[in-house]
Amino acid sequence: MTSLEDKFEESKKLGLQIVRETEDDRLMTLSVGPQHPGSGHFRFTIKVDGDYIVYCDPDPGYVHRGEEKMCEYRNVIQNIPHLERPVIHDSNNITYSYSLAIEELVGIEVPRRGQYIRALASELNRQVYTLYWLAIYGIFLGHSTMFMWPTGDRELFIDLLEALTGARVTHAFNIPGGVRNDIPDGFKDRCVRQVRYFQKRLKEYEDIFYNMPLFRQRTEGVAVLSKEDAVKLGVAGSVVRASGIPYDIRKAEPYDIYNEIDFKVQYMKTGDCFARSYVPFLDMKESCYIIEQLLDKMPQSGEVRAKLQPNPKGPPGEAYRRVESGRGALGYYVVSDGTPKPYRVKISVGSFRNMLALPYLLVGQKLADMPAVYWSLNYWPVEADR
Amino acid sequence: MTSAGGFIRAIESGSKHLVMKRFTFRYPEQKLKFVGDGYQFDPKKGVGIAGYRGRHILFHDKCTGCQLCAIACEGIAEAIGMVKVDESWKHNKKAIMPQIDYGKCVFCGLCVDACPFYALFMTNDYELSAFTKEHLIYTPGQLAIKPKYQGDVEIVIDDRGATHG
Repeated sequence: MTSLEDKFEESKKLGLQIVRETEDDRLMTLSVGPQHPGSGHFRFTIKVDGDYIVYCDPDPGYVHRGEEKMCEYRNVIQNIPHLERPVIHDSNNITYSYSLAIEELVGIEVPRRGQYIRALASELNRQVYTLYWLAIYGIFLGHSTMFMWPTGDRELFIDLLEALTGARVTHAFNIPGGVRNDIPDGFKDRCVRQVRYFQKRLKEYEDIFYNMPLFRQRTEGVAVLSKEDAVKLGVAGSVVRASGIPYDIRKAEPYDIYNEIDFKVQYMKTGDCFARSYVPFLDMKESCYIIEQLLDKMPQSGEVRAKLQPNPKGPPGEAYRRVESGRGALGYYVVSDGTPKPYRVKISVGSFRNMLALPYLLVGQKLADMPAVYWSLNYWPVEADR
Repeated sequence: MTSAGGFIRAIESGSKHLVMKRFTFRYPEQKLKFVGDGYQFDPKKGVGIAGYRGRHILFHDKCTGCQLCAIACEGIAEAIGMVKVDESWKHNKKAIMPQIDYGKCVFCGLCVDACPFYALFMTNDYELSAFTKEHLIYTPGQLAIKPKYQGDVEIVIDDRGATHG
C-alpha cells in the first residue's frame, strides 16, 4: 500500500500540481449566529477539525442598548421600566438589586411585609426564567416535549405574577422603597395550589428528560469544568454550583429576609453538561419550598411601601448591592452626586461571566455537542450586552 | 437505572397525557379572568391596588390638568401628551387633559402612581390593535369610556391535571 507521501512524489513525476495540505487548510471556520433562533442574538465563530472544535471566539454585542448610559438621564423611578428590558422574563430580579442599591443611597427602610412580597415575586420570577431556559434547552437537544411542557407550566407562574403585579412579563413591580401594591385577596391559596401542582409536574420532568438514557448519554461527561477552573474563570450562578462550589448570594450575603428562610444551596460535583442542566432544575425544586415558606412567614398586615418623595435623592455617595438571579449574581453599582439622577450606573451580570467559559469548554468537543454546551451555561445574550 | 427502564418510564410519563385535558383555551371566544377592575393607586396611602395593567381610564370630573402623569412618563415612553378639551370644569381652568399614544406606552403604570387626584387608573382592556398609528392615539374622550371586558377562564387544578376552565 502506497503511503500519502509516495503518492505525492508520484504525482510530481507525472507533472501534476497538487497543493499540499497544511495544518491550516484542515480547519474549517463556521459562524454560529447571530440570527440563529437558538443562539439568541449572539455570534461565535468556531474552527472545526473534522468533527472536533479546535477554536472558539465569542462575539457578543449585537443587542447592546446602552442601558447604563440611559440611567444617567432619568431619575431613579423612571429607570425601572427600561432596566428590566434586558431580561424581561426575569424582570423582578434585575430590578431587585437596583432597588436595594438605591435604598442604600437614599437611606430608606423597607417595611417587612414589603420585603416578603418582593422576595416572593422574585422567587416566582426565577421559576418563570428557569422554565423558559429549560424549554429552550429541550428544543436545542431535539426534545420537543421538553419544549412544550415547561412553556405550558410557565403559565402557572405567569398567571400568579399577573394577579400580583398586573403584567405578564414586564412587571415594573420592585421600586426603591418596597413594592407597588399589596397582594390581592385569595392569592395565597391560589399560589399554594399551583406550586403544589408544579411540584408534581417536576417529577414528570425527571422521568421524561433528566432520567432519559438518551439525554444522559448526550450530556454526561461532556465539557467538564473543574472546580479550580470554575474559580479561575469566575463563572456565576448554576454553572459554578454545578462544579462543586455551593455559592449562592442568598446564603453568602443574605439580602432582605433571606436569612429567615430555611433552604439548601443545591450543587453538584461533576461539573459536566448534565450537572449544569440539572442544577437549575434542583433550584426550581428548592424555590417551591421557599415560596411556601415566604407565604407562611409573611406578616398578615402592614405597609408594603415606604413613603418616598417624587424625586428621591440622597447625599453624594456610592452603593453596590447584588442578588441571586436566575443566571447567577446580579449586581448594581450606583454612584450618586446628590441630584435625582444617578451619576453612574454599572450593571454586573452573571450571564457575561458565564459566557467567558464558552471558548474554554467548547475546544475539544464535537460539533454536535455545541448546542448542549452553549445553552447549559445559562447565558442570556441580551442581559450580557446590556 | 437500566437503559430500558429509563425509556419505559419516559414513554409512560408522556403517554399519560393522552387522556388529560388540554391546558390551553380558545382565545377569542374565551378570555382570562383578572383580579379586580385594573390597577389603581391610592395617593393617600401611597400604595397601589393590585389589578391588571391594561388601557387607561380617565375620569374627566377629577382631572385637574396638572400634567404630573405627563411628567412621570417623560423619561419612560413619552406616550402622554396634554391636549385641549372642549369642556369647562371648575377644577381644570386650563382645560387640558392627557392623551395617550399606545404605540409608545409600555404599560408600566407609573403615570397612575403619579396622579394625586384619583383621575387616572388602568383597566382590564388589552385588545388595542389598530390599522394605523393614528388610531393608537387615544384622546381624553376615548379614555373616559369604560371598557367592556368579560373574562371567566381560570386555571383549574384537579386529579387529571391543570386546565383553563
